[in-house]
Amino acid sequence: MSHHDVIVAGTGLAGLTAAVRLAESGARVLVLAKGVGATHLSPCTIDVLGYAPERVERPGEALSRVDGSHPYAAVGRDGVAAALEWFRGAMAETYPYVGSLDENLLLPTAVGALKPTAAVPETMAAGDLRGGGEVCVVGLRALKDFHAPLLADNLSRAGIAARAVELDLVPEGRADVNSLGFARAFDDPAFRAEVAAQVVARLGADERVAFPAVLGIADARTAWSELSERLARPVFEVPTLPPSVPGMRVAAVLRERLRRAGGRVILNAVVGGAERSADRVTALRARVGLRDVTHGCDWVVLATGGFASGGLELDSRWQAREVALGLPVSGVPDGERFRPEYFAEQPMARVGVAVDRSLRPEGHENVLVAGATLGGAQPWKEKSGDGISLATGHRAAEVILGSAVPSEPAGASR
Amino acid sequence: MATLETDVLVIGGGATGAGVAWDSALRGFDTILVDRADLAEGTSGRFHGLLHSGGRYVVKDPVAAVECVEENAILRQVIPDCIEDTGGLFVVTPDDDPEYGDRFLEGCAKAELPTEEISVGEALKREARLNPGIKRAFTVPDGSIDAWKTVWALARGASAHGARILTYHRVIDLTVEGDAVTGARLRNELTGAELDVAARFTLNASGAWAAQIVKMAGIEGVGVIPGKGIMIAMNHRLVNTVVNRCTMPADGDILVPIRTVSVIGTTDIRAADPDEIPVTQEEVDAMLDDGERLVPGFRDARALRVWAGVRPLFQDEKAGPAAADTRDVSRTHAVVDHVERDGIGRFLTMSGGKLTTYRLMAQDIVDAMCRQLGEDRPCRTATEHPPDNEDGELYTLGSRLRRREANMQEEQLICECELIGRRKLEETMRRRGTTNLDDVRRSLRLGMGPCQGGFCIYRAAGILHGVDRLTGEEATESLRGFLQERWKGMWPILYGDQLRQARLDDWIFQGLLDVEHVPQ
Repeated sequence: MSHHDVIVAGTGLAGLTAAVRLAESGARVLVLAKGVGATHLSPCTIDVLGYAPERVERPGEALSRVDGSHPYAAVGRDGVAAALEWFRGAMAETYPYVGSLDENLLLPTAVGALKPTAAVPETMAAGDLRGGGEVCVVGLRALKDFHAPLLADNLSRAGIAARAVELDLVPEGRADVNSLGFARAFDDPAFRAEVAAQVVARLGADERVAFPAVLGIADARTAWSELSERLARPVFEVPTLPPSVPGMRVAAVLRERLRRAGGRVILNAVVGGAERSADRVTALRARVGLRDVTHGCDWVVLATGGFASGGLELDSRWQAREVALGLPVSGVPDGERFRPEYFAEQPMARVGVAVDRSLRPEGHENVLVAGATLGGAQPWKEKSGDGISLATGHRAAEVILGSAVPSEPAGASR
Repeated sequence: MATLETDVLVIGGGATGAGVAWDSALRGFDTILVDRADLAEGTSGRFHGLLHSGGRYVVKDPVAAVECVEENAILRQVIPDCIEDTGGLFVVTPDDDPEYGDRFLEGCAKAELPTEEISVGEALKREARLNPGIKRAFTVPDGSIDAWKTVWALARGASAHGARILTYHRVIDLTVEGDAVTGARLRNELTGAELDVAARFTLNASGAWAAQIVKMAGIEGVGVIPGKGIMIAMNHRLVNTVVNRCTMPADGDILVPIRTVSVIGTTDIRAADPDEIPVTQEEVDAMLDDGERLVPGFRDARALRVWAGVRPLFQDEKAGPAAADTRDVSRTHAVVDHVERDGIGRFLTMSGGKLTTYRLMAQDIVDAMCRQLGEDRPCRTATEHPPDNEDGELYTLGSRLRRREANMQEEQLICECELIGRRKLEETMRRRGTTNLDDVRRSLRLGMGPCQGGFCIYRAAGILHGVDRLTGEEATESLRGFLQERWKGMWPILYGDQLRQARLDDWIFQGLLDVEHVPQ
């Protein structure tokens, strides 16, 4: 049986953050994950807190007012700030982020809402429309997951001068190209030149230019800055329906950092059970294909996601369970679970694993929970999903690194 | 105020009304069909999809059984594109009395319903998921029928013969002159404009809402007992044959494979108002337990959507006291002759009935109208095919995929679950001229697959915005309306994989797009 300082279960933003932070501090880290993480679904804007329930302008200040059961209450404002600073540092070289906890930016979504978010990739930063502005939205007709005219129309209704331009460019002659297909096309300088040539003559002097978030996957920085130069105007990306190209970029940066720091990742490894000694987990069992493999560990960071990712499940008799370790799940209401109005606050929304201030679930000395597995938040309604994942993933790593107590019982084999 | 003139005004755009319009137009009458909402938005669009063999009624309601036997055979000929020949089984579960099987066989013989008892082993071989504890099994010619396709085919057929179809036109009053109904006043529900229809004859095919229409003619004493039934669509075809419990009709005793899903039904609960039929958690729980009895493991399978429909069960105070249980009301239909009953002419009401017999119901009411008019125009619907049904080929599960595979990379696939391409979507949006994504859903099954519109509805809103030149406001309103409508059918069954799907959809609509905060 292999043995690791830390096993991280899950490879979304929370799991990768914890794994990279730990590995770069010298810990021997193994990541076990069912598949690629939820990064591939997420726009990877770091939404820390957008609504509470009114729109939040200063997320740092609003953090101190969250309910005691909210994951941010465990991390604290300083913890969230430290996580964000760490993340910006980790991304700086390849795919830099801008923003802070001081003020939320307001970025257009693909349907034309203005969404508050704390930090975004520099490729999206010119989309901050707090001060108004003129926007030309460039659409690609072959990309069904981004509708420029609808976005522009709704932006106009919000008081932003916006209009749409649509291009008929079709990579590889295919009528149906998803965001990743276009991102690969934008990696090609010739394709970028063609796009710029078709767009530049149609731009007004003061317009900034919005594109779907497909401006390159291998080297987005180059694709974005080159387009900005050719168009001689601020260029920004707007996230599309999944698959999320920005999320893939983030995952690639963090995976590469993890690899360089000696961390290992095993995909198609479904964690389902543990070996225990009193309050400690000494090993995790993972199913890889048809085999069960056991990996020993001193610490576990559980970041397998919430209901959307399969980390939590609810059965038809309304019993919830945490799938990997069977941790207790709290918050399932006895009475009304859902309200009939879709946009109402849903009683089921805050269901998840409850933890103490150091992210430990009850009865588990060396297990820390991070990300969407945690209860107490309503990530999509309050716009806090990636913020919670980043903050709690980082916090879990800090707890392990700061643990003064020897982290394993004497005599455990390595 | 605008006035339209016509021979026949048909009220109600469900299967019955569309069937009546098709029948009437085929007999050469100038016809107008009106509905307060979209076609098949009431009872017809909210049933389980069972094309009855008649087996369900052979013991309890032999007249209804015989009608089903005959109509089942006719519909397979005239609207094959709407029907899948799934076949059916009646099974005696461990909780049922095996002797009912003998009464069932006697009833089938009387109704001339072809049936055969097969061994339990053979039944389990055909349907591997069936409860292995079943005690007897009988085959019947059940099928499944796509109500939306049916209604739209009939409406398009009627249009091709000159009929006018006015959806979103509510009847706000009937015009009564002397002792006859001479038309109706309508309100366009989208614009608020009112218009009059002058009609030689008015046919009331509004099902569970028929009593409301009858009252407008000043007629008292005709009531409808709305019998609420809930149904749950499961994400897979848990069975490929219609499975019925072989017992007196009860709750949760039918499982119908239709398209890519299977639907379990149903309940029968007296409702006060046909427009107020909420689904409760208790009803869902009971239905899942019923499913477990037919197919063990039912509760672990993925539920997709739940809805309730309302049966048009008639109660005529002049005819006798009301039945205690709505299930005890006969499922046959009758034409209410308002000359005989109330002294009001040029007006007939269809009472009772069920989707399987819509054609016969239409024939009966149009025949009655012809008698009153003194005209001899024979019914042609037993042999004529409405559009898209001419080739005589029954629908098969893989047909959409087969068509799609021919042009996989030539056009965008907008709804991956239901294999709807961009051309078809745009063409339907243009033809229907609707601003309502839910109307498009009913026409194409857009957003009806496992993701319940999670991916296609943003796309469709963007496309609708372009095709119909909608404002951003209208397109966003349509998107919001669709999200609310789908939520209504999802929240009572949100567990297991469908909860997982719903959370992904929340991620998209709230986390990614923030539809809630697009300016109102």
